[in-house]
Amino acid sequence: MAGSRLASNAANRLQTNGIGATRLNSRTGSSGVIDIVMARAYEIELPPPFEEAVKSMEREIMRFLMRSTGDREDAMDLFQETWLRAYRAYPTLQSEDGLRPWIFRIASNLCRNRARDRMRRGRVIANETADGAAPAANAPNHLNDGPEGALHLKRAIARLPGKQGQALMMRKFAGLEYTEIATALNCSAESARASVYQALKKLRLDE
Amino acid sequence: MKTNRMATQLKESTPIDDRVLDAMIGKTRPRIEHAMKLLRRPQARVGVTSSPLGRLLIAESDRGLAAIHFLFMDGAERTLAMLRKKFDLIENEASARRIGAEIDRVFEGDFSAMAHPVDLSLVESDFQRRAYASLRKVPPGAVITYHGLAATVGQPDSQRAIGNTMASNPIPIFVPCHRVIRSDGTIGNYGGGVDNKIKLLRAEGFEVGRDLRLPSRAVMGHRRTGIFCRPGCSAARRADPTKMLIFADAKCAGHAGLRACKLCKPA
Repeated sequence: MAGSRLASNAANRLQTNGIGATRLNSRTGSSGVIDIVMARAYEIELPPPFEEAVKSMEREIMRFLMRSTGDREDAMDLFQETWLRAYRAYPTLQSEDGLRPWIFRIASNLCRNRARDRMRRGRVIANETADGAAPAANAPNHLNDGPEGALHLKRAIARLPGKQGQALMMRKFAGLEYTEIATALNCSAESARASVYQALKKLRLDE
Repeated sequence: MKTNRMATQLKESTPIDDRVLDAMIGKTRPRIEHAMKLLRRPQARVGVTSSPLGRLLIAESDRGLAAIHFLFMDGAERTLAMLRKKFDLIENEASARRIGAEIDRVFEGDFSAMAHPVDLSLVESDFQRRAYASLRKVPPGAVITYHGLAATVGQPDSQRAIGNTMASNPIPIFVPCHRVIRSDGTIGNYGGGVDNKIKLLRAEGFEVGRDLRLPSRAVMGHRRTGIFCRPGCSAARRADPTKMLIFADAKCAGHAGLRACKLCKPA
């Protein structure tokens, strides 16, 4: 999956027929310069095709969207949208290293858009109403390992402010580094760390 | 509660099974495939090859050659970035090698390779597209001036724009921007180095001298009348300079289907 090194093959061929090297040498007469020129030419790397690059991240993204939206249909819609947007913008991605936070950023932007749209239309998130059958007051006041505790926790995460919730999910569910979260959320690494900390603090208070 | 315990609990509290995720991904796949049909960029095969002009980065789409970059010049990354915007790039050394072989053939005197189809997707402006199209009609063994080429595009005063267009030619060699020279008869500049311009012109029959001027045997051919003259001929002086091509010698002009002038008798 790594970017393919075009030039190494060409370098091998160059040794066999030596056209470029010898001609260049004879013209400029300075082999030191040529070495630098050649070395630079070898450094061209082709980015991997989009599908190959994102293949390994499919599950992570879907998991993140599932956590963020709490709804299967929505997650699938946003997954498709994330995929298409990422494909369209893939040529603008400078380095392959930034791919993971970049794609998470697309996903989290889409989640935010969706949340905003929902708010505008004044619609209640479907999942919330379904969960709302068990009123919050009756929820256990401590987190335990049972399904009730899980539900409580899920609701508590849903109540977190957008950035904190997303930072928490990227950190704890998707396992991103703080620097990666920072790129995804367009903030500093310190801010990302603080968001996760604040989120965890609120969850603890919620208990 | 300790943060660590909470973190573990977060992970384990409402586990989403991988199989559930896979099923969801599987369900979205046909929808994505459908949408991708509209979005997908065409493919371009990219490779590096050696040539008598130095090492070249070559990109070829299904429609034809999309880009050639002289690797000893800067800006290979820029070329790749431009290509990525229009194409999905796949590595293909064989494709580049085939083009390399065609360039070799040009240096052996077989110019049919130059007719290789080109894909001008990287060219944004209509003016540039037209300029490249009419430049492709200048045969090997002939050159045209920046001014003359501007006239064929229909804007005879835009020789500067033609200069910029030639400088940003994405497919040098095959879109023969080396066949564009200055009106004073000097050969001018080249994006792949003046040395390479001389090499290409020599391969096509132009013996460019040390003073970077065209050979004295060069004749002027009039595209409309189909007559070629010596540069000093009175008929040539009267003719519209924008209609003129410059041929390496009388033989080249003859090959292109022109006849000798009866006044100056260049042949």
